[in-house]
Amino acid sequence: MKARIAQLWRSMPVQLAMLLVLLFSSVSLISLAASYAVTQSSFEAAIRADLAQDMVGFHAAPNARAVALLVEAESRETDPNRLILSYLSPGGRLYGNGAIARDDEGYHILSLDSGRAQYSGQYHTLTATLYGGLLTIARSRAEIEALAQVFLNILWISLLPTVLIALSGGLYLARRSKRHVEVIGSTLDNLTTGELSARVEVGAGWSDDLIRIGDKVNQMALAQQASTLALRQVSSDIAHDLKTPIQRVSLHLEDLSGQIQGGDQAALVTRAQEELTGIASVFEALLQLAQVDTGSARARFAPVDLSALCQTLAEVYEPLATEKGQLIMVNVPADRVDVMGDRTLMGQMMANLIENALRHTPPDARVTLSLARQENTVELVVADDGPGIPSDERTKVLQRLYRLDRSRHTLGNGLGLSLVDAVVRLHGAHLVLEDNDPGLRVVILLRLQDLKRA
Amino acid sequence: MKLLVVEDDATTGTYIARGLREEGHSVDLMAEGQAGLIAATSGAYDVLIVDRMLPQIDGLTLLRTLRGAGNLTPVLFLTAMGNVEDRIAGLNAGADDYLVKPFAFGELSARVAALARRPQALEQDTVLRVADLEMHLISRKVTRADQAIELLPREFSLLEFLLRRKGRVQTRTMLLEGVWDLSFDPMTNVVETHISRLRAKVDRPFGCELIQTVRGAGYRIDE
Repeated sequence: MKARIAQLWRSMPVQLAMLLVLLFSSVSLISLAASYAVTQSSFEAAIRADLAQDMVGFHAAPNARAVALLVEAESRETDPNRLILSYLSPGGRLYGNGAIARDDEGYHILSLDSGRAQYSGQYHTLTATLYGGLLTIARSRAEIEALAQVFLNILWISLLPTVLIALSGGLYLARRSKRHVEVIGSTLDNLTTGELSARVEVGAGWSDDLIRIGDKVNQMALAQQASTLALRQVSSDIAHDLKTPIQRVSLHLEDLSGQIQGGDQAALVTRAQEELTGIASVFEALLQLAQVDTGSARARFAPVDLSALCQTLAEVYEPLATEKGQLIMVNVPADRVDVMGDRTLMGQMMANLIENALRHTPPDARVTLSLARQENTVELVVADDGPGIPSDERTKVLQRLYRLDRSRHTLGNGLGLSLVDAVVRLHGAHLVLEDNDPGLRVVILLRLQDLKRA
Repeated sequence: MKLLVVEDDATTGTYIARGLREEGHSVDLMAEGQAGLIAATSGAYDVLIVDRMLPQIDGLTLLRTLRGAGNLTPVLFLTAMGNVEDRIAGLNAGADDYLVKPFAFGELSARVAALARRPQALEQDTVLRVADLEMHLISRKVTRADQAIELLPREFSLLEFLLRRKGRVQTRTMLLEGVWDLSFDPMTNVVETHISRLRAKVDRPFGCELIQTVRGAGYRIDE
């Protein structure tokens, strides 16, 4: 879930939407901030003008007594939260609805009521000496502060819907294009695993660029299919052209061996026949590898019971192992363990692994065939306790015709593990060569066949 | 038996034909698909041996045409490509068996014999016999010269397979396919080890070999 969200987040439409939201928000913020600043400063100017106007009005009074009376009269009708009038008469008496006090933190405006409470909020003040007294007029900045809230509301109201619409639009597009990208992705997966008839089916509502990519994928698949077909034809021709002479030589040798009775000549013919069998087997294995790699066997996949196949192969190789003093042990579930696959190729794959194990281990070695079912995979293991394969050579042994130095003199053509690898890839499985400490442990991880779906 | 070989490679064709004639069969050899098809439809053959790659009409087309015309003569298909794909293509076209090149003549001869006379022992037979060896299929008991022989289940199947094809050579790959349902060519002598175990129980104590090795071909049980 988390990964899916992260994946959605990284998709192009969502990122585009995010970018647009960011751009739009920034522009809105800047223009709102600018108009806020302009409005605020004009409000401030208006307050200052009002203050100056007020002051002029009081200057019209003829004497200090008149000022005091005027202040008293006016302040009675005035809300101190809006306007404060304060006159300190030359006699030291305070008239009005507030007093200016000063401490370390700055100026404060205090109420003249019994509690001497302090008025909160900011005020613009203008002070002047008038007839020996000190007249202070303070107008509240509350309106300007309220302005900030108003602008903040405007910001929310204009931005929130934009952001929501842009984001949900982006997510919708992302999910849609994700589905389309997934169609392309699964086609590519099929092509990679050799199903060359796979094509991207462009649906209605696809965006132009995805349609173009889909078309390109289809063109590529078509080219690949054509070249694979050509390759198959070529390998079929080569097989025929090379196998016919091999067939002739083989028949000549058979003829010859029938005419010679014993002796060195017969031994020589036998050796030539063995060499020819070797050549034919390498040839056959290479052809088979090429064939498996085309992935066409996938069309024939059917449920294969690995449990029974392990038992059968162990049984087939048991006398051979016993003859060499080796032991084959089987550790598989008693019931069916089905995977989708080609039984012949799987059988050959397991036979190759078992033959390898028996061939490259000393007489008292143990070879274990085991099958372990996990949630929806199955682990097929062929392990031995022989000399194993050095860790730096484990990937090389899967290469065609590669052989370990110490195995050069044993039988085998260096294609056995390559075929195992090819069959594993054909089945979309996973092959790991591990240290069995001591020995080699070949682990093949296959997807379990879902019987409910089948 | 009357056999038809359709093979474009003269050396291989001649050799096969000669070998089969030496075994007492009457053999016609054709080098082209068209001629092969005409011969196959007109002559009454017991078994046809057809190469896949042929000039004019290839082996697959020949087979399909033949089967399409209702001709059910057993066909052994020869192919240079040994992969499953090709085998299936051949079998789908109507071949009864296939042989991958290069093959030994013994293998070819064994498969031709198997095609011509199948099935020999009837499915409902309950006792299979060769000389003094008896296999009771219902009680799953094996006796030789009235002495009971203890066989493991798979040894029993192997012996049954040979007995049902008494007198006919069974190659290693035929045994692997028939007894274990595995179709690949093992690089080791697995089949030999099973045969030698069976011999140790069935033949060795009695001094007379019923399970015979046919050089270059396979095994046969016979008197």
